[in-house]
Amino acid sequence: MAKEYKIALAGEGGQGVQSVAGIIVEAANDVGREALYIPNFGVEQRGGVSIAFVQIADEKIGSPKFKKADIVIALSDRAVRRTAEYVDQRTTFVYDSSIEGVEEALPKNAAKVYAIPAVDVAKNELHPRVFNIIIMGAVIEATKVIDLESAKKAIEKKLGYKFEQDPKLRELNFKALERGIELVRQAGIS
Amino acid sequence: MVDKPIKGEKRYFVTGNEVVAWAALAAGAEIMYGYPITPQNEVMHYWTRLAPKYNRKFLQTEDEISAGFATCGGVLSGARAFTATAGPGNTLMQESMSMAEMMKIPTVVVVQQRGGPSTATVIYSQQEVTMTCFGANGEGLRVVYSTGSHQELYDYTIKAFNTAWKYRIPTFVLGDGYQAKMRESLVMYDPEERGIKMVPTEKIVGKEGMPGVEREPSHLRNTYNTEDELYDVVEKLVRDFWQAAPEIVEHQEFDCQDAEIIVVAHGVVTRAAQAAVKELRAQGKKIGHFRPVTLRPFPREAMKKAIANAKELIVVESAEGQLDKIVKAEIYGCSKPITGYFKPGVGITAEEIVEFINKRG
Repeated sequence: MAKEYKIALAGEGGQGVQSVAGIIVEAANDVGREALYIPNFGVEQRGGVSIAFVQIADEKIGSPKFKKADIVIALSDRAVRRTAEYVDQRTTFVYDSSIEGVEEALPKNAAKVYAIPAVDVAKNELHPRVFNIIIMGAVIEATKVIDLESAKKAIEKKLGYKFEQDPKLRELNFKALERGIELVRQAGIS
Repeated sequence: MVDKPIKGEKRYFVTGNEVVAWAALAAGAEIMYGYPITPQNEVMHYWTRLAPKYNRKFLQTEDEISAGFATCGGVLSGARAFTATAGPGNTLMQESMSMAEMMKIPTVVVVQQRGGPSTATVIYSQQEVTMTCFGANGEGLRVVYSTGSHQELYDYTIKAFNTAWKYRIPTFVLGDGYQAKMRESLVMYDPEERGIKMVPTEKIVGKEGMPGVEREPSHLRNTYNTEDELYDVVEKLVRDFWQAAPEIVEHQEFDCQDAEIIVVAHGVVTRAAQAAVKELRAQGKKIGHFRPVTLRPFPREAMKKAIANAKELIVVESAEGQLDKIVKAEIYGCSKPITGYFKPGVGITAEEIVEFINKRG
């Protein structure tokens, strides 16, 4: 079984980090693991950086929020700057390669820093709507907190009613999930 | 016949606010009165969605002063009634809860603490301890359960109705914004199937029969003309409260027996304290943790026993010494040094407790 993981997912409102966090923890719970998810929900929620704090383990989880993450995924300029505080020498830091001008803001103390072209793949190859599912694929590949099948089941559970109306959406979402996994493999993260 | 909200036992993965709504349904609560405030909004939200399916009711009032008094009114009419609030809303409810103390009205209030003073944050704190235990003009004749997980939110919301109605004491479930908003797993159940009998409610006003002739008059008062008259009443309230207290107090201990340092923490911070004890024990250090579950009445005797062999206490809380003040009053006479680790309005992790203790050597 995979080890305990602390994951901080950060992006702009509308990038879907909270819904992805929600699907991942549901999937982990469904396979009998312990999961805890808490969004940041200050007044900044309106128009600020949205952060999802996710913990997945085999035993009951301690504090709901954590100071340092095992993996940080930052999806916007502001998210990169905002999440620096969750990074220490054990943290894997992943950001989107389309974010420009953040080189100086990337954490110097992270174990490793990777850029993945998720925005680009969503926009040019798949569909902007499945951007967050690409990110979900990236998270599960980088952390192994759940396997691909469990992830697919969780997506089906969440979006199945939409897939009924348009089966192509299922294909698109599953493709996005797999592309997310590939991006992480190509970056050499897992 | 309307179906029971929960049948059998089932694992759920939901937010704490949703847990509270389900627990109140399972406990047979008939009506919720409320006014929106973050981070407890979804208690109302889920209750209003679920209540009609199970023939339960909801009334949104114009503010928390009204929500508190309407809850008193509902209870006086014999309904198993409750409300939920946070922060400034809790402040506004103190007047009605003081009336509940005086008139022995078994109200149930769920509090999801947010940052303070004033509006502060909508996020999290343990800064409503003093207010929830001792708020308003009165003597703190309340029961306050401080929960630390979704399972406890469920268990103690159900229990709160029974404690309130059994002892006729206003009862609070003290959660916080983290517990309100996070998702984690718990098992929901029908209390009856677990052998938990819900204490029956009854009309407190408008009882059957002619008062003074066919039955004793209810004699509900919160106003008195003379000091002596009031003194007799309060003296009886206080006596009743302390008589019930030994049956109500609850606590948990972790490795206290041979501990040199004991961490005292309540609510969600117990999770960090428990993990810190585990970690420090693994490092070979003699650390224990004492957790009051009831903050009022406080498990005084249990605590005195648990700390008997310790050399030092460290009170850890997300407030500037609110638990610390209670602890010091309750164990008066204990000469062991007590240090505070206070983070008002901020979450506390196991790592920082470990670091704090290790730095002290």
